Amino acid sequence: MIEVAGMTKRYGDRAAVDGIDFSVSRGEILGFLGPNGAGKTTTMRILTGYVPPTSGTARVAGFDVQEHPIEAKRRIGYLPEHPPLYSDMLVRPFLRFVATIRGVPRKEIGARVDRAIERCGLPPVAGRLIGNLSKGFQQRVGLAQAILHEPDVLILDEPTVGLDPSQIREIRQLIKSFAGAQTVILSTHILAEVTMTCNRVLIINEGKIAADQTLEQLAARGERTRRVALRLARAGDGVEGTIRAIPGVLAVIREGGQDGAFVVETEWTRDVREQIAQAAVTHGWGLLEMRPITLSLEDIFIRIIRGEEAA
Amino acid sequence: MRNVLAIAWREVRTYFTSPLAYVVVGVFLMLSGYIFWASLVRFSALCLQYGNNPYVFNQLNVNDMVVRPLFGSMGVIFLLMIPVVTMRLLAEERRTGTAELLFTCPLTSGQVILGKYLGAAFLLAVMLAVTLSYPVLIMATSAKPDMGPTLVGYLGVLLMGLSFLGVGLLVSAMTENQIIAAVGAFGALLMLWAIGWVADSATVTVASLMNSATFGLWEKLHLGTGGPTLGDLLNKLSITEHFQDFRKGLLDTEHVVFYLSVIFFSLFMTQRIVESRKWRG
Repeated sequence: MIEVAGMTKRYGDRAAVDGIDFSVSRGEILGFLGPNGAGKTTTMRILTGYVPPTSGTARVAGFDVQEHPIEAKRRIGYLPEHPPLYSDMLVRPFLRFVATIRGVPRKEIGARVDRAIERCGLPPVAGRLIGNLSKGFQQRVGLAQAILHEPDVLILDEPTVGLDPSQIREIRQLIKSFAGAQTVILSTHILAEVTMTCNRVLIINEGKIAADQTLEQLAARGERTRRVALRLARAGDGVEGTIRAIPGVLAVIREGGQDGAFVVETEWTRDVREQIAQAAVTHGWGLLEMRPITLSLEDIFIRIIRGEEAA
Repeated sequence: MRNVLAIAWREVRTYFTSPLAYVVVGVFLMLSGYIFWASLVRFSALCLQYGNNPYVFNQLNVNDMVVRPLFGSMGVIFLLMIPVVTMRLLAEERRTGTAELLFTCPLTSGQVILGKYLGAAFLLAVMLAVTLSYPVLIMATSAKPDMGPTLVGYLGVLLMGLSFLGVGLLVSAMTENQIIAAVGAFGALLMLWAIGWVADSATVTVASLMNSATFGLWEKLHLGTGGPTLGDLLNKLSITEHFQDFRKGLLDTEHVVFYLSVIFFSLFMTQRIVESRKWRG
């Protein structure tokens, strides 16, 4: 659905986007992740035809955004970082205006506008002035404006920025509901957002792609050993020795801060949780808690951005 | 065309949902109405005064004494007010980020610009349409204004106003700041007004200037040194000079072509500027 090849955008000497390649297939929700100033917005602006690339190509639904801008733009719904709203217009007339210039046939405008209002939860404010709406509702009007013409590709630049937690959840639900039918590219610098809404992640840093993986692949990165956290009610002196004796265990560390807290490190291929539980029961340690420790996406992200790990 | 009209219609709505249109139209009507009333009162006083002197009485003409000064003052009022009408057009879209909506929709920049221009032109047409009541008011008295020259005068004011709009739109495309857009348009229009004032003093001919610029090559090619002076040339560029014949009720294609060229040129340059700004981000 989207193919980007060797795309570069320079502003003077600085390359905002530096030769990136990626493609997104139909129905995918791609999380576009990176620190501020990494080139996310520039990439999205090139995809939507708002700024031309210095070199390289971008195709949307088979149309090159530079060669056939009108055809490509017809198939894109775009929500920029600052929702592009006319604050002096009412919600419904604004959406009708956008539907017209997005090329929705005249007869269908009414129905499409109603549908977008419904989907984005706008009925209570449909007759109000956009400038008087809360940030959350404005964001939803921005989203409604992007989905009006039922585009194949939806490009959303930081759709949840500046919203309160419950609004963020609603917007995420909404974005999730587009999955399957539409291809979505979503930029964010919040990792949790990606975990909750996307099925693929593209990490971009300093204009270059640092990682392009599914969430599972990403989560499995950078772990060569498996770790288990343990908390025991009655941890005697023999605990370390007993666990150490289980095959596959590499180290047992008693955590200083908490009484009876341990971290058990094992080989990547072994899962020793069952044996530990057995031992705890046999020796009467009083097992309170046992959980696998996985590296959080945050940790992986930071490591990739800092270049601590080769991609 | 549908896109152009959608943009124009949105622009008109914005004018008329904000106080701007009412203030601009109101102030325009107040000023032109006052000037109309003042010259009408003066005209009727003169008529009374010379009513029994047939020689002078026959010289008095409602077109010369009321209609013509009215068009002159409308031109000056436009010069001052049109920058206010156009300052918002493109500058505001950039500032609020709605430009990003317009230019990512399946529209060409030409359609956006034409739509904006037509929206502003509608406001201008409304302003002029209301003043059509003035000649009607004259006809309600026993005076009979000559309708031909009056309509030509209207055409002139309309064309001049439309050229002012073009220049204003062009300046609005260059900045994100409405104040700068207004002051810039104001300066450009005043310059186009004043540019012809050197007509009598700039007596050097264009041909001799060309000769100096080409280090004598012009003369060697026998291209001649006579012809129009620099003053003549600058006078032809004056946006108000071309209006004078319209005021007198003369319809000359030279002036019509001039105004249409100004409109076309400014819209074309606006489109080029909008396109080039994309590359600068």
